[in-house]
This record gives sequence, structure tokens and C-alpha cells, in this order.
Amino acid sequence: MAKIIGFCCNYTAQVPVDVLEKEGVIGGGVELRRLPCTGRLEVPMLLDAFGEGADAVFVAGCKIDTCHNKTGSLRASKRVRYAKGLIEELGIDPELLEMFFADRGSTGDVVEAIKEMEKRTEKGA
Amino acid sequence: MISGSNLESILTSGQFAVTGELGPPKSGNRDIVRKKARILKGYVDAVNITDCQTAIVRMSSLTAGLLALSEGVEPVMQMTCRDRNRIGMQADILGAHALGIKNLLCLTGDHQKFGNHPQAKGVFDMDSIQLLQMVKAMRDERRFQCGEEIKGGEPRLFLGAAANPFADPFEYRPIRLKKKVDAGANFVQTQIIYNVEKFKEFMKRCVDLGITERCYILAGVTPPKSLGMARYMKNFVPGLDVTDEVIGRLKDAKDVREEGINIAVDIINEVREIPGVAGVHVMAIEWEEAVPEIVKRANLLPRPEAKIEPVLMGAQSIDEAVEQARKEAEERLQGEISRYKEEVEASKRQAEKEKEESAREINALKREMASKEDELSEKERRIQELLDALRAEKAKIVELESKGVVSTVSTVAGEVSEETKVLEEDIVSRKQLDFALRSMEAGLEALKKVLGLEDEAFEALKRFIEAEFVLKGEGPAVPTGPVTPPTEKRPPAPPEEVAQPVEAAGEEPEVHKRAKEVVNLVAKGNLLLHQGKAAEALTEFKKALEIDPEDEKAKAGLEEAQKAISAKETEEQKEEPRAEETKEGIPPTPEGLTDEEWQRKWVIRLIATGNCALYEKDQDKAISCFEQALRLDPENEKAKRGLEAAKKGEFPTYESPREEVVEEAPKKEEAEERPVAEAAPPEEKVEEVKEAAPPQKEEVKEAKPKEEAGPAPAPKAAAAIEVSGEFEFKKEETSLLDRIGSIPQDLFMEKATGSIREVVIGDGEKAITVGGASALPFHLFEGEMPHAPKIAYDVLDSKPEEMPEPLLKYYEECLDDPVKWAKKCETEFNAQAICLSLVSTDPNGLDRSSSEAAKLAKEVIDAVECPVILWGCGNAEKDTETLREITAMVTDKKVCIGPLTDANYRNLGATAMAMGLPVVASTPIDVNLAKQLNILLENLGLGLDHILMDPSIGAVGYGLEYTYSVMERIRLAALMQQDEKLQAPFICNVGREVWKAKEVKLPTDEMLGDQEVRSILLEAITAASLLFAGGELVIMRHPRAVALTNALIQGLMG
Amino acid sequence: MIIANQKPLGEIMDMLEGVRRVLVLGCRGCVAVCSAGGDKEVKILASAIRLGKGRKGEEIEVVEETFVRQCDPEYLEPLQEMGKDFDLVLSMACGVGVNFIADRVPGVKVKPALNTTFFGANLSSGEWKEMCAGCGACVLHLTGGLCPVARCAKSLSNGPCGGSQGGRCEIDPEVPCIWHEIYEKLKGFNEEASLETIMPIRDWRPSGHGGPRKRIREDLLP
Repeated sequence: MAKIIGFCCNYTAQVPVDVLEKEGVIGGGVELRRLPCTGRLEVPMLLDAFGEGADAVFVAGCKIDTCHNKTGSLRASKRVRYAKGLIEELGIDPELLEMFFADRGSTGDVVEAIKEMEKRTEKGA
Repeated sequence: MISGSNLESILTSGQFAVTGELGPPKSGNRDIVRKKARILKGYVDAVNITDCQTAIVRMSSLTAGLLALSEGVEPVMQMTCRDRNRIGMQADILGAHALGIKNLLCLTGDHQKFGNHPQAKGVFDMDSIQLLQMVKAMRDERRFQCGEEIKGGEPRLFLGAAANPFADPFEYRPIRLKKKVDAGANFVQTQIIYNVEKFKEFMKRCVDLGITERCYILAGVTPPKSLGMARYMKNFVPGLDVTDEVIGRLKDAKDVREEGINIAVDIINEVREIPGVAGVHVMAIEWEEAVPEIVKRANLLPRPEAKIEPVLMGAQSIDEAVEQARKEAEERLQGEISRYKEEVEASKRQAEKEKEESAREINALKREMASKEDELSEKERRIQELLDALRAEKAKIVELESKGVVSTVSTVAGEVSEETKVLEEDIVSRKQLDFALRSMEAGLEALKKVLGLEDEAFEALKRFIEAEFVLKGEGPAVPTGPVTPPTEKRPPAPPEEVAQPVEAAGEEPEVHKRAKEVVNLVAKGNLLLHQGKAAEALTEFKKALEIDPEDEKAKAGLEEAQKAISAKETEEQKEEPRAEETKEGIPPTPEGLTDEEWQRKWVIRLIATGNCALYEKDQDKAISCFEQALRLDPENEKAKRGLEAAKKGEFPTYESPREEVVEEAPKKEEAEERPVAEAAPPEEKVEEVKEAAPPQKEEVKEAKPKEEAGPAPAPKAAAAIEVSGEFEFKKEETSLLDRIGSIPQDLFMEKATGSIREVVIGDGEKAITVGGASALPFHLFEGEMPHAPKIAYDVLDSKPEEMPEPLLKYYEECLDDPVKWAKKCETEFNAQAICLSLVSTDPNGLDRSSSEAAKLAKEVIDAVECPVILWGCGNAEKDTETLREITAMVTDKKVCIGPLTDANYRNLGATAMAMGLPVVASTPIDVNLAKQLNILLENLGLGLDHILMDPSIGAVGYGLEYTYSVMERIRLAALMQQDEKLQAPFICNVGREVWKAKEVKLPTDEMLGDQEVRSILLEAITAASLLFAGGELVIMRHPRAVALTNALIQGLMG
Repeated sequence: MIIANQKPLGEIMDMLEGVRRVLVLGCRGCVAVCSAGGDKEVKILASAIRLGKGRKGEEIEVVEETFVRQCDPEYLEPLQEMGKDFDLVLSMACGVGVNFIADRVPGVKVKPALNTTFFGANLSSGEWKEMCAGCGACVLHLTGGLCPVARCAKSLSNGPCGGSQGGRCEIDPEVPCIWHEIYEKLKGFNEEASLETIMPIRDWRPSGHGGPRKRIREDLLP
């Protein structure tokens, strides 16, 4: 089972992973980590998530113009892009790290993100 | 004469000069240079030999120049500064002179980025102007660049330079050209000219600068080879100005090349008329054949006779010698061949003779045979006769037997039988003809010895005779090939090999048949080769070699066939992309690039275009771009990825969300509201100001009639803020820790490693303590903030010259009585502290004496119970004096003194220490100055627990940001970086700064809104901002602003 | 300041072949300001190393540390002892720091994590541009304060070459032609006539072509 770690901001992290899992909407092995805002995201956090054994890592932030902190998710997306370069250099498929923009409090968007990452890990495996 | 070059003599004689250009090959093939030189010979006066143009490695200009020289074409050697430093360049310059080069064109050189070695280190030890200067000094002053003398044989060179009239800045171009002439240029060749008008202007300026009197200017002309090339030059070559007219002419032309030549001729005719133009420089890029035509049509023929003398025996002489040797060898070969032919002919004649002879002999033999037959029949007859006689004898003997003479008869009979046997043998041996031939051969052998024939000639003769014989019988004709030495198609052989072909004829008779086969196969192979069927020819040659691995002809044929095959392959390879290029519409390869490089660049361009299209969501365009790129380079990963993305419609994610947001604008509001309903209490609400008590009516009462009559404040402002009444901030319903939920604490908590010192001001019950925080302001979730920030009311010790209306309203009656003022603040407004500003002592103002001011201050201090901050006028000396006076009178520890600056901290610091009073340490907005003053005070013995830092603040619109930033940095250093010297609380004199701002003084109007609301907010917002930056004690004036600020503090402190 | 750029991770991982304990040592000087080797970058690199090694199934202990500067002896002092505990010190300072450690700290193996690139200024967040070549013979007083040695692709001394078009350099339309700017600048001061005199051939010795450079101020020597 693929291990997926997601970073979500306060507004996108309302997703009850365990419920979704139980309902079979998503597979197991998904862990969501809350950030006050994805702008708080730092590159080492993404690298360390892989270091902890994640097969895929994603970040779900607010849609760019709706970030509570104005540019938080924009910054996060830039950091994700930077981290993609680093993991690629280390031989990890950069597709296994992705930035998603979700509507505030939208479970659907985050579920989509999780599904997308599950698909990518399957492709890789 | 400077160098005596052909170009120099033509230019100095006033004739219109023509120079050409020759790009050396990207190989060591001298024939290419010689071929190009021959095309140009007689049509130009000198030829520029480029020095690795566009930074692509080519045969060196010195070498190629010498080759041109050996062809009788005068070179203009180009030299760039890109690849050699001054040592290498001077060395080559000496060498060039030594070998007879007389013109040198000095250039900086194209940047290596454009060439085939972009990784190379560009030397650029100097630039073209400095190079000219250096060579001129070598020539005229006979010294090297370092100053050392050149002893004997200085380089005599006619120096050239390049100029681009179309580069920017245009007005500087003639000046830069003048610099080149100053540096030593004797002639100048310009960039390609299409825009004649602009060139005219350039030339006019050159004439004005006197350049044309000191140097010959040759106008650069290039026939555009195609429309694509013209467009490329127009769009992609910096510093080239191709006019629309030229493009148009090419577009409309039936024969583009013809039109290209016409354009060049027209431009030559036009520039000839421009004053100062001494010649033209015709550059036909990879189209040398066009030059003679252009020169002819421009009526520039014939060119003056040039005397070109190569110093060394050039390649031509070597070639001539080789040619001579080859001719001689061929002649010798031819001679021998004809000799052998004659010999063969002679042998043939001889053989004919022999044949006749042998025929005669045969006839003789036949005759002999006939005669023998005759003889035989004669003998038979005689035998018969004898037999008859014998019979008769027998009969006689029978008769005689009886008579007794038998023995004699038997003897006679024996003789007869022997004779008969010989005759029988003669008759049986008709096969003796064969024997006869063999004997004839023996005879020929003898003949050969007699004639002194060589083996081969003899062999030939023999074969010929054999052939004759066979011809008379049946069997195929024997080719006479080997007899004549093969001369055609053989590569020219060096003289010593001349004998070789003849040797081929020297086949052993035993291998004759095999040789025949070989010859047949080789002939077939050659035929096939001739028909272009190289592969089939190859197998024939191989077969031939299987039979005779030594056969030279077959070997040569094989080699040729292989060459033909590989040539064909490379041709195919070459042709393929070219065919595609036209298909894909690639512009022609620009000068200096190989087709391959150009294609690569074009692919990159296509991919870039595709990516752009992808960003613009132009799927079709993107697909077509990527497909085109893939057609040119099917292995290109980027193009593949791009195509995939384009086909799937995957557009880059970074841009798309933004657009989506725009599209979904109406949804946005919903989205914002949802979380409120769902869970998280929005933080925005904390900031909302709620009016707690009395509505507008009260304000109306307090407000002056003037204000009522005045224009109503902008409705929005009125609705947003109500400055009257009590204020209350809605406190947090749930704490941050609750709201944050499952986010790990280390993600948002940044615990301070240091803390702010506590400072106590005043004594007794009313004493206040500030500082003590171990967290950033109001970050209560991260650490402690034991004391809420405090607000002191500002009281002036003399009546101010002017006071803005909103303040006057509250303090009008006590303006000239600081005691009353202070008391009012304490009793009416519940002041936590009073700041007594000793403005009256200012030497530039009232200049009240220290003692007088002190007396008044003492009264104020005595009148109130809360602590008093004594704030001097800002004059260091006066403040020292005044504050000392006051502290001498005050016995308790109710006061705090300030400001202490670097000018008076010693005296006042000592005073404060003696009395145990806290001080205000004032510095002009700077982290390091603040720290320094703290250190100085500490060194004096005053602990940080007695220091309030005044960072010097600015109000909103008057430098608040800067203040904020400096305070923030001080506070971060104190809390996070353990900078102990900065761990003192802040005091901010907000009131003084706000109430001198223009905005608080301007009356109510429609634009700026209500004066009182405006001024109160100005003060409150300034104070609030500074509180967030770390301010612990703020000094303010307006009671409503104080109330507002207090409400904020209470709200945030929970 | 000195601008540097992190080496490709692959190259760094190769340096760590067989290394069990590494000190990733940042510098709070120039490289911190240009976001190449300060505290933050140390953190990122350390994480990346752990991840890279972990994926190869190799163990490594990565310790993060950042010095105030790596180009002054007193700041390097702690490394004398600390360095002994490590198989390798991966310096995130500019080349100066790496050299200085190699020179001054015996017994410590040091390797660079950065490529030191140029002397430049910070144009905006995330963007730096070369401004000085450290050529040792400044001509800025003649060129309106704009450096032709560092900012001209061919380091020309006597004005813009023929590739100058519309104020852009021919090597890249993104690059301004500094000689064009020099001309405009001096014209603004009415000093463009100074560009009519020929600047003599340079002496490149002070630029490092005369051997390694050293500076001494007698009065400050101990």
C-alpha cells in the first residue's frame, strides 16, 4: 500500500481522512499534515516526508487568489517546484511530488489530489 | 608605401578598390581554399581571409592566406582578439610578415558563444582598437607591445579595421571609427549595407570628422542569396539593417539569385557616388561564384594587374612539380607501352611469317607424305613384285630344292620384312602433326633466343599463335587483354611505379585461364561501377579477388566501389534532412552555422514556441510545433513530453489556477463564507471594533457647532468608526491553540530563547511595570507577556503655540497649567502614567531656566499619584541641567528621566544611578546605535532593568514602516538571538509625533473626512502598530485614541 | 557580495560516497544573503542528503551548523575540535571558506557544496547580477560607474562592438549592452567626449593573471 503524505493549510485540511478511508473513497496509507497556511511550508519538510518513507507527497493550498495570507499558497507552489528539482536530482520521480490548489474547505479537491497521487504511485510501481 | 600591397597601391592611386572574402574550410583541405581563390582571382584586388568567423574552428587565417597567395591572390589576413593573447598575436603577426602577407584586418572577434565551442574561454586580452595600436607601433616604432625593440624585420602591414554604421548608438559610430583610425587603421571595411540612406548619413559624419582623408573606406556589399537569408539577416543578425525594399524585391523576383546579384550591383552603384567611399568589399557568403558576375555588372572590370609574389614555394609550385613528375612518368609509361605494342606487332608479323613457314613445312610434310605414300605404293608394288619374284623364286627354289640352294633365299626374305615394318609405322603416325607443332615450339624458342625477345613479348607471340590455332578450330575467343597494359582509369601512379602495369601482363601461362576469369569479372565490375551500381560492382570485384587476391585492378576497382558506396550513403544522409527542411519550412542555414547546428537551434525554437503555446492554451499550435520539432529530431525528449502534454491538454499548473479564479469569481464569496459556517472562527473578527455604549447623540453634544455646520464626514468613514463612547474589542471566542487543531505545535510555535527585562517606573501602589515578555508582542500562545503595554498621557509644561482642534476640545482650560492638565489626565482619563514634556526649556523656544522648569515639574509630580516621565526638550546640555535640578528636588522614585542620548548619557546616567531612577535611552532609528547606548549605560553601571529604549518613532505616513522594521529587528534579536544588550523594553513617544502631523491639523472636509475621527485614528493606529512591533510604553495625547488603544490591548491580552 | 550557487545534488552525493558522518557547514556571510549557503539552505541540503542516502539504504549522520563567517580565523576556531568528529565537512561557504578551512584546520577533510560564481548585487528577491570582476584596476571613474570588464561579454575597453543593437548585447537580448549604457550615462553628464580617447591596453596582472593576489595594510599588521 502506497504511503502518501499531504500538507494542507488550515482551510483545506478539514478532510477527515479516516472516514474517507473507511468509506473506501481513498486507499489507506494517507496522512494529512496541517499547516497554519501552506506559506509556512519549507523545502526540508517535503524532503523529510520522503525521507520518512512516503511514496508520494503533495501539498494542497488555497486557490492562489483566495489564500488567507494572500500569497501563502503561491509561495508554497514555488517551493514545491524547487523541491521537485531536488528530488529529481536524487533519482525520485518529480511527479511524485505535487502542488494542488483547492477551494477553501473543499473535501472534494483534496480527495481528488489524493486520488491523483495514488494513481501516480501505482504508475511508478 | 606602407607595405607595398596590391590593395594599398590601388587605393593610394585613387582607383576604386574591390575586395572579396574567403572563408577557410572547416578542415585541412587546401584545395578548397585554392578553388575559392581561383574563383575570385582577377575579379578582386585582395581577399579577406576570415579568422574563425562566428567563432567556428576553421583553418587558420594565416595558413589560408598563404594558400591564397600561392594561387596569386592577395590576402587580407583577419586577426581577432578572441583566441590569442598579445604574445600569440604578435608572434603570428611576425610570421605573417615573414611569409609575405601584407594586409592585416584587426577585429575584436565574434563572441565564442556563437560558435561551435561555446565552452571555450574567450581571451579578449585587448580589443580591436588596442590591437591596431599595437600593430602600428610594431610597424612604425619597431617595438613590441611591451616596449622592447624589434631588431630587424619589423612587420610591414597595411592595417584594416571594420566598422558597423548600423549598430547602436548611431551617433557614436563615426567617433568609434575615428578612434580606430587614430589607433592605426589605414583602411576600413564596413558591415553589409542595404540601408544606403543611413550609410550616407554615416559617411557624411565621417567626412566631417576628417576620417576619409586619413583612411580608405570600403563599403560592404553582400548579394542576398535567398529571401530566407535576407529575412534572417533582418531579424536575427544584430547590427544588420535589411530594408523592406530589399525584402520586397526578393519576394517579387522570379529568379531570386539573379535579383540578389542585381541588388548588390545597385548598391555598389549607389555607394560609389557617396563621397569618401574608396571601394567596395564584396562578401558572397558561400556563394563565391557570384562575385565575378557582380564585379562585371558593376563595370568594375578589368581589375588592375596585380603582382603577387609568394615568398615561399607555395602549394601551387609543389602541385606543379608533382604534375610535372606525373606527366613525365606518364610519358615514360606511354613510351614503353607503345614500344611493347610495336614489339608485339613485330612478333605478330614474325608469327605470321612463322605460320607461313610452318604451313609451308606442313605442305612439305604433306607432300612428303604423299611422296611416301607413293613410295609406299611403289614399295607395295615392289613387294608385290618381290613377292611375285619370291613366288617365282620359291617356285625356283622348289625347283632348286630339289637342286639344293634354299639358304640364300631365306636371307633375302628377312631383309624385305624389315623394310615393310618401317613403312607401316610411317603410315600409322598421322598424329605426328602434334609432334610437329611441339617441335615448332622448340623452334620458336630457338627463334626467341635468336631475336632476343623478352619473356612477355614471346609469351604474347606464343599466345597469339595459339589463338590462331584455336580460332581455326572451335572454342571461345581468347581476349587479348593482358597483352596491352591497362592504362585507362588507373590512379596516376608515381614514376617509380611505372613498371607495375606492365608486370600485370606477366602472368604465368598456367594461371592463364584464371586470369581470364579475373579479367572478365573486373571488366564486368567496372561496367557496373560506371552504371552506378556500386554494390553489384563490389561483389564482382570481390569474386575476382577470391580468384586472385593479388589482382591490382580488382583491388583498385573494389576500393572505388567502396568509395562510391560510402559517398552515396553520405549523400543520402545529407539529402534527407535537406529535403525535410524545405518541407518543414526551416529558414536557410545562416552563415557560420552548419545545417546540423541550425536544425538543432530551430528545434529548440520550435519547442520554446510550443511551450509558449501550451501556456497560452493554444493546443493546436503547441501540437504542431512539437510535431515539427519531432520530425526534425525524433529523439528529442522535451518535444516528446511537450507533445504528450499538448495532446492530453495538460497545461502548466502554475498559471491555470489564477485563471480559474478569475472565471469562478462569483463562487469566491461562497468559498469564503463556508469555513465560517463549518468550523474555524475567522480571525478577522478580532479586529472588528464594536461600539459598546452611547450612540451618536453624546458626540453631538460634545462636538462644537462649527463641526455640525461643516460638511458631513464621508458616510463610509462615519459608518466604520465611532470615536465616541467606550470601546471594546471582541475577544477570541476560542483560543488559537483550539483553533489550530491538529497542526503540530512546532510548525507554528517559535519559542523565544530570551526575554525582555522588566522595568518598574514609579513606586508604591501606582507604580507600573513594563516589559518582561518572553514572546513576540501578543503571541500569548508562544510565551509569557506578564505585563500589558501601558499608556502615558502627554502633558506639556507650557502652553503650546497652537493645538489642533480635536485636542483643544479636551485640554483648552488647562493648557497653561500643567498641574491642572496632569490632574485632569489622572482623574478624568485614568492615566496610568504622565509624561511631562519639558518643552519650555528649549533654548530655541521659551528657554525657561532649569530651576524654574524644575519647580513647575516638582509641582506636577507632587500633584499626581501616578508615575511621571520627565521628557526633556531634546537639547542635551539643557536637559542634563534641568533633569538634574528636578531629581535633586524629588525624593521618591516616582519619576523616570529622559531622553538620554550619546551626548549626555554619562551625566544623566550617573544621576539616575545615584537616585535609582529608570531612564529613557534615545537613539535615532538604528539597531546598532540602540545597542551601543545600552552597552554604554551598562558600562556606567546602569542595569538594563532601568532602561527604556526610545527607538525614535514616526507616525503613520511619517516613517512608521522604518520605525516598525527597526523595532521588530531589535525585538527579534532580543528574543530569538539572545542579544542581551537589546533586551530592554521600548518606550514610544507617539503623541508628540502624531500631533505635529499635517493631517491632524487640517479641518474637516469631504476629501479627508472628519478631523477628529481622522486625528484620533492616526494616533491610535500609530500606537497600535508600534505595540505590535514591541512597544511597551506609549505616550499619547487624545483620550479617545487612548481609549481605542486600550481596548485593543485589553482585547488582545484576553 | 560574493554570489554562489549550490552544486547539483548528484555531484554532492558523489562526494559523500562512503561518508558516515558529515557536517553541513553554512556561512552567515555573503552566501547567506544570496540564499545559497545560509541557515535555511543548510537545512534543505541536510534534508536532501538524508533522503538521498536513505534511498540508497546507506546510513549517514548529518549535523547542521552555520558559522558567522568562514573567512576569518576566529570564527573557524570551533571547527578545530568539532571537525575531528566528522568524516567530511561539507562547506556551504564560497570558495574562500572551503580554502580557508583546508588551510587552517588540519586533519579535517573539507569539500564544497557550492559553485562560487561572481561578485554581484541583489536585483530583487531571487535575482542577482554580476557587477564587478575584481580585476584589480578599476576603470569605473572613466565609464560612468558601469563596468565594461565585468559587464561586457568581450570586456571591451573602447566602446560598443558592432553587435550592439537597441541597447542590447548580441550574445543575448536579455543582456544590456553596457557600453551603450556607459555612452548614455556620460552623455547625461555631457562627458561623452571622454569616450573619444583610446583606453590603452590593460595590465591584467592585478586581475590575478600575475599570480595569486594578497593585500597588506602595514598599519594593521599585528
